[in-house]
Amino acid sequence: MSDAAATRQAYRSSPRRYAFLAAALAIAVLPMVLTGNYWQTNLTVCAINVLLALGLDFILGYAGQLNLGQSAFYGLGAYVSTLLITKLGVPFWGAFAAGVAFAGLAGMILALFAVRLRGHYLAIASLGFAVIIHQILLNWISLTQGPLGIYAIPPPPAIAIPGLPVIDFRNPVALFYLVAGFALLTYFILDQLVRSPIGETLTAIREDDISASSLGINAAAWKVFAFGVGAAVGGAAGCFYATFVGTLVPDAFFITESFTILSMVIVGGMGTLIGPVWGAILLTLLPELLRGIGDLRLVVYGVALTLVVLFMPGGLVQAAQLIRSKLTGAR
Amino acid sequence: MTATIVAQQAINGIVLGSLYVLVALGLTLIYGVLVQINFAHADFVTLGAFAAYFFMHVLGGSYLASIGAALVVGAVLGWAINVTIFAPLRRKGSELLPLIATIGVSTIMQNAMLSLFGPVPYAFETPYSQKVFRVAGTFFTLQSVIIIAVSTVTIALLYAFMKFTFLGKALRAVSQDRETAGLMGINPNYLIMLTFILASALAGMGGAMLAPVLVLTPFAGTTVIVKAFAIVIIGGFGNVEGTILAGLLVGLIESFTTQYLDPGLIDIVVFGLLLLMLAFRPTGLVSERREENV
Amino acid sequence: MRKQHVLAVSALSLIASVAFGAANAQDKTIKIGALFPMSGPGAYFGAQDKQGVELALEQLNKDGVNGYKFTVQYEDSACSPLPASQAAKRLIDQYKPDVIIGEECSDATLAIMPIVEQAKTPMINAGSSALKVTDPGNPYTFRIMPNEVMQGVDIATQAYNKLNARTAVLLYENTNAGIGNAKVFKDTFEKLGGKIVADIGFGRDVNDFTSIATRIAGVGKVDVIPTYTLEGQGLKITQALAQAGVVKGGDGPAIQLGTIWLPFGFEQKAGKAALGYVRIVQFDPTDQRDMVKNFVATFKAKFNADPTHINAHAYDQIMLIGDVVKRGAKDAQSIRDQLAATKSFVGVTGSVEFDKNNQNTKMDTIHYMETKPDLSWNALKWN
Repeated sequence: MSDAAATRQAYRSSPRRYAFLAAALAIAVLPMVLTGNYWQTNLTVCAINVLLALGLDFILGYAGQLNLGQSAFYGLGAYVSTLLITKLGVPFWGAFAAGVAFAGLAGMILALFAVRLRGHYLAIASLGFAVIIHQILLNWISLTQGPLGIYAIPPPPAIAIPGLPVIDFRNPVALFYLVAGFALLTYFILDQLVRSPIGETLTAIREDDISASSLGINAAAWKVFAFGVGAAVGGAAGCFYATFVGTLVPDAFFITESFTILSMVIVGGMGTLIGPVWGAILLTLLPELLRGIGDLRLVVYGVALTLVVLFMPGGLVQAAQLIRSKLTGAR
Repeated sequence: MTATIVAQQAINGIVLGSLYVLVALGLTLIYGVLVQINFAHADFVTLGAFAAYFFMHVLGGSYLASIGAALVVGAVLGWAINVTIFAPLRRKGSELLPLIATIGVSTIMQNAMLSLFGPVPYAFETPYSQKVFRVAGTFFTLQSVIIIAVSTVTIALLYAFMKFTFLGKALRAVSQDRETAGLMGINPNYLIMLTFILASALAGMGGAMLAPVLVLTPFAGTTVIVKAFAIVIIGGFGNVEGTILAGLLVGLIESFTTQYLDPGLIDIVVFGLLLLMLAFRPTGLVSERREENV
Repeated sequence: MRKQHVLAVSALSLIASVAFGAANAQDKTIKIGALFPMSGPGAYFGAQDKQGVELALEQLNKDGVNGYKFTVQYEDSACSPLPASQAAKRLIDQYKPDVIIGEECSDATLAIMPIVEQAKTPMINAGSSALKVTDPGNPYTFRIMPNEVMQGVDIATQAYNKLNARTAVLLYENTNAGIGNAKVFKDTFEKLGGKIVADIGFGRDVNDFTSIATRIAGVGKVDVIPTYTLEGQGLKITQALAQAGVVKGGDGPAIQLGTIWLPFGFEQKAGKAALGYVRIVQFDPTDQRDMVKNFVATFKAKFNADPTHINAHAYDQIMLIGDVVKRGAKDAQSIRDQLAATKSFVGVTGSVEFDKNNQNTKMDTIHYMETKPDLSWNALKWN
């Protein structure tokens, strides 16, 4: 059994129920420990990247579809929600839902290519799709403002729950809790999905979709489903990006973003759910921590990715398991 | 007047297309034999361009010799990366990992070049890019003529190599059916190494040819790589004739879209065409590969 | 007896306070935060900004200003909104500057502005041409370079009047700066009675401009071609236009105008193709003022290269800070107030007087240069 498969096997059999509580606790405590505007916004960027990585991992790691177009869904979520808010005055959460739905729909359209293509063909098709979306965002100036950009995008409206103090999202800590909370919820839902028979179906398709079809599985329908979910999650990340940064330009969704998100999934551990979370956190914080060395930090990035692929293809999850088994002496 | 414009844009398109073909040829070779996408390919092209620049402007060599220098640099680097990174990965049998490794290599190369050469665009002038010919209302530079000439010669040589030499036939055998080729006593690993070196040498040489035309920064590769992939697919992965056809087609699309529509729409047209091809004829314009691998 | 006592005590206090003052003078520093792109495609801006800053600091810190010395901390804003916001927050949280200079790219500057306003730290910008930076702008953002409207209106008017241009082809990169500048030219030129015969925007990834040049050659009589692009593509454009026989450098009639940025060495790279090019530069190295001659000489001595306008702008940003400190500013709030009150600062790029939106309105920051046959610059004294 390959390294990656062994990692997945081991992952599934270890107890993780307590993990959700631990994660929720960590999210609650982190902004208290890492204070200051700079670190708190870093945490929010981590949370957004976690969402992106989870979405991609669902399509790539679980359904086995080589999707290099995640940046397109990211951008669509951001632009659709923002344009609804700024041009039509749609309230934030309605625009959010629309952005997520639009991205999910785009994912399903790309999936129609996935149905017929495999491997490298799908990779290039998805890349071409991402280029087209980026170019549309860039050139359709009357709609999106193109490179001129959309500015002063407001944060989500404050939430007033009777009996509690008003939650104002201009406070970076509150915004972090919102995004991280959403990421945790997404993780929970995806976790339930992959543990259910749906997860097994996707795994069957990933391993060999021709054989899967012979078992009566409608591979096409499930691929569309996987793309829809993964793209929708990416779209949600885009909606949060827009409201968090406050400024929207098409170049934030250039195709190199797809490669960055892919790196997070691989370095974290493809085909597990916790892997992309760690991958996203590490690859978000690493460039920040390495700011001191200037241009070389991007070289380090590339080196990290290459080394992981060469020596530890299961990513951080595999590394953690190796360490754990060495420590406990277990097989 | 209009006839002149059409003729001129046709010339522009063919020259541009020849440039793309130079970049895409190596890609198609690698894919054909290794069934592997190499995202770092365009960075080999960029590196070849820089190698030619330094050979010519710092060491004082001639332009034509600098093309040779770039070829050597490409070949050596291709060999080195194959040995250290790609060969070990292929042994693991995964389809995805080598692709991701090429992304890693590409990132390393681009940023290493950025640290070494800086981000200011280098102006690579050759005596040939200044000389302009004017014929029947159209114009083209001597550099364009050289590009087309060298591309044609290279393609012809490559074609002859693939069709008539033992090594060439072996490469084609491996690309069409690796297992059977192995059974016939051809060592696939040796051939794969050879392919990589050949493709990287082509990339380096392409870079030297392109350098006077490119805006030469470490990121020059990214400006052409995605289009190069589109060309390889439109033409048919692994298919040399298809790549040439597709490359010229894309060049013509660019020049005519610029003339009649808007340069900003070029990418949309080209990639729209790509998606159409993938939807209806994924094996490409000229298909030799069997449908199975699609 | 008492009088002597008082005298002694006063003398001692005086000596003590002078001594104390002298000791503390070593501690008086103005902290300057610098947000420039150091990585990615904009990295060459950052490298040049740094040079200008360093030269200026060297000169200011030789004697200090009013007892103050100046220190700088650089952060990489990467010419893009998200990294720029991160860099700004990190700078403010950790270094707590009294004043900030930056960014180069309009997108990044616009993203940073709310952050510096919230931190009540003044920011001096000298690289972004987008109108929004100072219209409406905010009380903490100051721009010393002319904005896209000032430049665009002026160059269109000069083209119409001084070059007798009646037809123009707009040629610009598809970015904030490119689109914005082109639009201003178009509006002004058309209002004067001129005609835009073609409007061509291109992406930053275009390498070959022969097709575009061919298209321009086919639209009929073209008097001027306002070109808004950066060095790399600008070079290719000029060469292609010459090959197509469109511009003066190719024995054609059209004159290229404008641009976002072309450094002093452009002509040597472009060769004959650049003949007759008329451009706005924000720094005129042939300027005969003593201040400019000294700047060029000291820059050459330190860096062994001719200064570009980016070097010059960074230099002026620091010198302006020195000037406000001379006028009595000593912390973020007083620096902000003294900046707003600037009426007669003279830098190597021109004079500075801020209007109510903190935009510098002095037109002597817009210098026109024409390329001569021997490839040197001829300063057209249009302003």
